[in-house]
Amino acid sequence: MIWQIAFKEIYHNLTTLRFALIIIILPILFVANSLIYSLGGYSYTAQVNTYNQQVAQNRNHIEDFANKGLAELALIGPGEIPKRPNRLTFCADGADKFVPSSVTMQNVGMLSRAGYDEVVEGYQWRPPWILEYPLQNKGGNVIQRIKIDWVFIGILMSFFAILFTFDAIAGERARGTLSLMMSNAVSRGQVLLGKYLGAFVTIFLPLIISILINLLTIYFFGNIPFASEHWLRILGMMGLFALLVSIFIFLGLFFSSRVSNAITSLVWLLLTWVFLAFIFPSLLGTFVGNLNPIPSVDEVLRQKHSQLGQLYAEYDPFNNAGYIPPKLSKAASAENSKATRLWADFLAKEVETKTRFSDGHIDQQFKQVQLARDLTQISPIATFQYAMEGLANTGIVSYMNFVKQARRYRQTFIDFIKAEDQDDPESLHIYPVREGLSQKPVDLDAVPIFEEQISYRSVLSQVGLLVLFNLLFFIIAQISFMKSDLK
Amino acid sequence: MHTLWLVIQREFVSNVLTSRFMIGFIVCLLSTAVAVFVQVDDYEKRLVGYNAAVREAEAEAQEWDLYYNIKPKTHRKPNPLGIFNVGAENFGANTVTIELAKPVFELTFPIMGEPAQKRGSDNSFLTMFLTIDVVFIFKIILSALAILFAFNTISGEREDGTLKLVLSNAIPRDMIVLGKYLGGMLSLFPIVLISLIVALVIALSSRVTAFDGNDISHIVLIFAVSLLYVSTWYLLGLLLSIWTKTPATTLILSMVIWVMLTIVHSNVATIVVEKFPPYQSKPETEFVRSAGDVWDQFRKERDTYIKRRGYENLQDSISWESGADSERTNRFVTFFSYGMHELHLLEGYIITDVDKADTSIFQEILGYQEPLRIAYADKVEEVLNKPAEQRERNAKFADALSRISFADVYHFAIGTIAGTDRQSYKNFIQDSRAYKRKIVEYLKDKEAFTSRAWFSNDQGAADLTYLPVFQYRRPSLFKSLSRAYIDILILLAWNVVLFMTAYVSFLRYNLG
Repeated sequence: MIWQIAFKEIYHNLTTLRFALIIIILPILFVANSLIYSLGGYSYTAQVNTYNQQVAQNRNHIEDFANKGLAELALIGPGEIPKRPNRLTFCADGADKFVPSSVTMQNVGMLSRAGYDEVVEGYQWRPPWILEYPLQNKGGNVIQRIKIDWVFIGILMSFFAILFTFDAIAGERARGTLSLMMSNAVSRGQVLLGKYLGAFVTIFLPLIISILINLLTIYFFGNIPFASEHWLRILGMMGLFALLVSIFIFLGLFFSSRVSNAITSLVWLLLTWVFLAFIFPSLLGTFVGNLNPIPSVDEVLRQKHSQLGQLYAEYDPFNNAGYIPPKLSKAASAENSKATRLWADFLAKEVETKTRFSDGHIDQQFKQVQLARDLTQISPIATFQYAMEGLANTGIVSYMNFVKQARRYRQTFIDFIKAEDQDDPESLHIYPVREGLSQKPVDLDAVPIFEEQISYRSVLSQVGLLVLFNLLFFIIAQISFMKSDLK
Repeated sequence: MHTLWLVIQREFVSNVLTSRFMIGFIVCLLSTAVAVFVQVDDYEKRLVGYNAAVREAEAEAQEWDLYYNIKPKTHRKPNPLGIFNVGAENFGANTVTIELAKPVFELTFPIMGEPAQKRGSDNSFLTMFLTIDVVFIFKIILSALAILFAFNTISGEREDGTLKLVLSNAIPRDMIVLGKYLGGMLSLFPIVLISLIVALVIALSSRVTAFDGNDISHIVLIFAVSLLYVSTWYLLGLLLSIWTKTPATTLILSMVIWVMLTIVHSNVATIVVEKFPPYQSKPETEFVRSAGDVWDQFRKERDTYIKRRGYENLQDSISWESGADSERTNRFVTFFSYGMHELHLLEGYIITDVDKADTSIFQEILGYQEPLRIAYADKVEEVLNKPAEQRERNAKFADALSRISFADVYHFAIGTIAGTDRQSYKNFIQDSRAYKRKIVEYLKDKEAFTSRAWFSNDQGAADLTYLPVFQYRRPSLFKSLSRAYIDILILLAWNVVLFMTAYVSFLRYNLG
């Protein structure tokens, strides 16, 4: 009986204007999506080329300094670490333009001071590298933030789900066919499920077909190679589409059974949709700055400079004080291990201060973003977006993971330097000073390489949330239909 | 006239009594209130940053005593109308440092010592959340409401069978169209008005926002344009209602058109232009390189001049009295600014034992060299501006494409009126350039280039008492109108066309 109702519903839907519209609009959007993301100046191929160049450059950089000796490599750092470009940006753009695509672990500057008679020795030193998170603006129209990616099409799909269901029950009630249907030996639950399946199939079939067209276009014209893993992820995304569409069908059925006339139901649905899709996530996103305020970039910079200033006042490496011999009056050298140790103290403290501020600030920012995301997940559309980004490995979460791994790599690299240094008996084993470390060249192959690992763990909770939304809306639709009048 | 009034009244009452009126009213009011609340807070933050920056710059200005090291700054004052439309308020530079030898330019990648800088925000990652302002709410929600009011005006009455009854009276058809239009607008009018008033009240309840008469007149204009926008949507709904047989069809058709025009169209247009720009540009690094070439020319020209005056280099033009510390080899130091010197060539001079030095010829040479440097900085500026100009042309093209949808026409119009559009931002940069020219004029008046105070304060510090101060002026209503009139005219034209079409269609309407 359920299927009978479902089929009747599907046949009915197929002849309507909305079906005609969906069958025109969806393929157009999906083809536009594939063309926009696979061709053009900022396409995947272009990104991969830049990425490969960067990686090669970085390798050369490490090789240069590894040949000069362990000490040089230890201070200059492993260079700029680019984030691997993503094949699935066309599925979830994830504000790609705002999320940085690399971190740097490099310091290029040499500092020096002149000697002053016998009191202060002239010295040239390289401050050790630190991990920095440069922001970047990859150009483009900054005000534009909605992208024609799958996520956006998914949001439109939820709109269509509303259009297909707003009159499903209210319409039949108005025509008087609802009581006729219920006079058969069919339970209300069955009617609701039949309506649900009917709407679901009519929306999902065009979607699947359009996605296939999209993938074929990309496959043949787009130069984006897919591995089997990517196909799996795309399959997962289709599942997300299904979950989202289903939520809004239940929502539509709920309002449709709740309200006496179809128009009122549509008004409610429409406003709910606008709220869930745009207003609610954005407002919470902007509002989070007030909930959990953090110091501004300028403020952090000021604090950092004042702390570094104290450090410089204490050690006075440039001998600004003039005639008074500073703490670091002697130059670090392999012979003078005491001076070297003092320099190591100073440099380690400097690195620690800089790292504390840059890590701390970005952690605070991440926390804010995370809070905003957690809050916005009350909207199923936002949850859908985050799950898509998670599967595609784009957006801020993927950058957060990248940063986390970069920090792990920072430790690996330092450990590697220290371990190599231990093997050299001539070295003083004093870490961030050139004279305190081994001067022997390093084998390039032994230097650890940064490898990005993708984690899909965050997606699980979002999928769970989407399923929960489905259950919730199913139950309220069911209850509301049970309690509703037939006339 | 009486019949028209009757139709209007009937339409108004039937609209106001529906649940959609109440729901729409409440939703519009609530979301406007929340959006304004968030935006006012944002504006306060911008204002605090601005005030701090101005104070800092004033303190810095106290320290200048030489002509060559003055570095006046221009600050972009936060716009209180940004509460209604944020636009470019949160983007781009808000401080431009004026240095004579430094061109004013913007590149897409940040560089050290860039003239145009942005004050740091709390968290730039939060920008990835869409910003919601009053105009966005109006653009999306008011348009939906207008359609929800309009969709069953004709097709609904037709389905109910009341249309025949109405037409059987002695009311001409044109009266009905006009009456339904005016009645619908009359019921939308209070929603727009009260939402804006609530927005104003919330904005004014904050300590820092203050609107002057000019701002208020701009807000009134925003209100008028918003009404025009709502009217466009209402007419579209009316037209569709005439063209289609049943209200359900009207509704679905108009909802899909609504989604396309308000949400999809402009995004597709902008992204397509971004991906396939009609004006291709060379990479920015090439412009940077040619800027370096221009500076090389400057060096060459300067060296020729110094040679012609009979000196090997600048240093030779200074002679010292006996008794000066003759042991020192580095008698004077030329120093470059940090950063990429392809972009700017800043040089300063520190002369040791300056009190014993005769610098008259040196000053003469500076009097030739520094204006030349400024002229070359202008040339470099022209080169470095090209990528931004190219970007602007592409953006303009995308705007033109977006204007197909009148929802975007509305957005552009409000941005222009509020002074938060891209052009207003560009005006700020241009004002900064004009300010730089003023500073140069001032220095010329003071004969600063040939004065000793250019590089040394031993014979009196630089006279900076009447140094021009950057004044940011917001455009008057007339000026805003003269920039926004095209968009307003487009909206007006849509109104006229839609109304005429609806009118003609209804006259030819087949009741059967």
